[in-house]
Amino acid sequence: MSAHRTALIWDPSVTGYFFRPDHPFNPKRLELAVSLIEALGLAGGPDTPIVAPRQATDAELLRVHSAAYVDAVKRFSVAGADTSDAFRYGLGTDDTPVFPGMHEMTALVCGGTIRAAELVMGGEVTRAFNICGGLHHAHRDRGSGFCVYSDLAAAIAWIREAHGSRVMYIDYDAHHGDGVQGIFYDDPEVLTLSIHESGRYLFPGTGFVDELGDGEGYGYSLNLPLEAFSEDGSWIGIHERLIAEVAEAFRPDVIVLQNGCDGHLQDPLTHLRASTRLYEETVRIVCEVADRLCGGRVVATGGGGYAVWTVVPRAWTLVWAGLSGQHAPDAIPREWLERWQGESPELLPERLRDAVEGWPAVPRRDEITATNRRTFESLRRQAYPLLRGWGLGF
Amino acid sequence: MLVKHRMSADVWSVQPGDSLAHALRLTREHRIRHLPVVQDGELAGIVSDRDIRLAMPSPLTVADADRAAFLEGTRVDQVMTREVITAGLLDTVEDAAKLLCRHRIGSLPVVDAHGRLLGMITETDVLTAFAEIFSSGGPSSRLEVLIPDRPGELARALGIVGGDLKLNVTSLMVQPRGEDGRKTTIFHVGTIDPREAIEALERAGFTVGWPSLEADLRRGMDA
Repeated sequence: MSAHRTALIWDPSVTGYFFRPDHPFNPKRLELAVSLIEALGLAGGPDTPIVAPRQATDAELLRVHSAAYVDAVKRFSVAGADTSDAFRYGLGTDDTPVFPGMHEMTALVCGGTIRAAELVMGGEVTRAFNICGGLHHAHRDRGSGFCVYSDLAAAIAWIREAHGSRVMYIDYDAHHGDGVQGIFYDDPEVLTLSIHESGRYLFPGTGFVDELGDGEGYGYSLNLPLEAFSEDGSWIGIHERLIAEVAEAFRPDVIVLQNGCDGHLQDPLTHLRASTRLYEETVRIVCEVADRLCGGRVVATGGGGYAVWTVVPRAWTLVWAGLSGQHAPDAIPREWLERWQGESPELLPERLRDAVEGWPAVPRRDEITATNRRTFESLRRQAYPLLRGWGLGF
Repeated sequence: MLVKHRMSADVWSVQPGDSLAHALRLTREHRIRHLPVVQDGELAGIVSDRDIRLAMPSPLTVADADRAAFLEGTRVDQVMTREVITAGLLDTVEDAAKLLCRHRIGSLPVVDAHGRLLGMITETDVLTAFAEIFSSGGPSSRLEVLIPDRPGELARALGIVGGDLKLNVTSLMVQPRGEDGRKTTIFHVGTIDPREAIEALERAGFTVGWPSLEADLRRGMDA
């Protein structure tokens, strides 16, 4: 494990990205995760600075969103605003309700990921983790699935504009990263790779192998849909090859990594069955690839994750430890458990890593693993020959 | 959705007196399988690449040069089908699908009341239309709901999802014939979090599958 200077982008004010008390996208999870990282002494040192986000400017948002959409979000941000046309912009729904200050709050989330990119591309740190970022469903002209603006697309567009660098975007949130894919669908300088539960049943219903990009960008959108009930074994095995192979051919200058942790067994919104091992292993794989190919540069964000108490804090602590090259001890500090147990509706786990030995076996495991492997082979056959570096580095 | 919305209006055709060689060339160049045969603007028959190949002498017994001469010397009207099954502009796509299935054919010439050729609709056109009808209609979660085959039940389920919970149903498919008095219905619901909808439907007595009702797929996963 090589240590790299790594920034945690965090300020308690980002918990203002808050729809309503009973909404699954609950900023409590950010507070829990950061407090666990701090309780373990993993952030705040000279090589692990905590950096506050900044507000994204209108110009930065308008690189990836239409003016009509940004205007509409600003309009809905004012308390008591007329929201009768919100539906046209994917807002005002149960998923993505409007709330006062939503423009400013979402611009802050976007600014956080752009700040992470600034620190990484400016060489102040090698990696950065904007834990409140990862709004991968926001589209150019509408919000969707808890996401108002796309912090990921705004940061990628900033990297393209400020540095002209080639960006590889990796998204292993359980839901397809449709917003980021759509915004860069025809751009061959931004490769998007999304690994997710198949859209056959799960929101947003897209992300199939044959969505490969368009025009100049044909071949630069990659999707690997996993079967429902997929587990660590087939998932991590695929990451190990897929991420390395695609990166070798594409030769990115920087990797942008979305770490949605809703593929975990305990997550209520999906049917995947990963353990915390997925987060530890995927970050290791991505960081190794980054060290080998792009000076270690990784701009990471959070994402989905709806087992707020039992999964998200542990998963993102492991993500942070992996990014910053630190070893995270397995025992969760007593003071952290005592601080939060009273508020938690569930018994908080005492270990950072899941003990998967006790988990029930999936009856169709062999079939699911074999199907995932076939999907992976199908992606390799269809997509790899379209990458410009394919065949050169092997 | 009507045939006129899904057909190709710009189609290649041949005349009865054209040679098979010419017809075969057209099917290869334009990667098509069926050529309507038109005489004085009216549909006179249809010829497929398969009809032509079946008419050809076997390469095992006849030299290539003679086979080529056969293609040049044989007229389309010697091998074409004269009893053509056709569709009209205002027929529905499901009518066209039924004709294609019932007659086990790959395409239908589209003609007007006077038999004039207006276009072609192929099995691919129909399949594409059906794939669209089955699609999600936008970002959504897909639920399978068993609905009792009684008046008012579908309305009750929709009332829960669309009325009480105010969720947008982006696409809806109802199986025409159910089993055990229940119909499998596919709801695409415009939300990333369908838990509330599932709970409300189950409370109201509906059986809901997410990811699926299929027992083989869920085997052992219901705990």
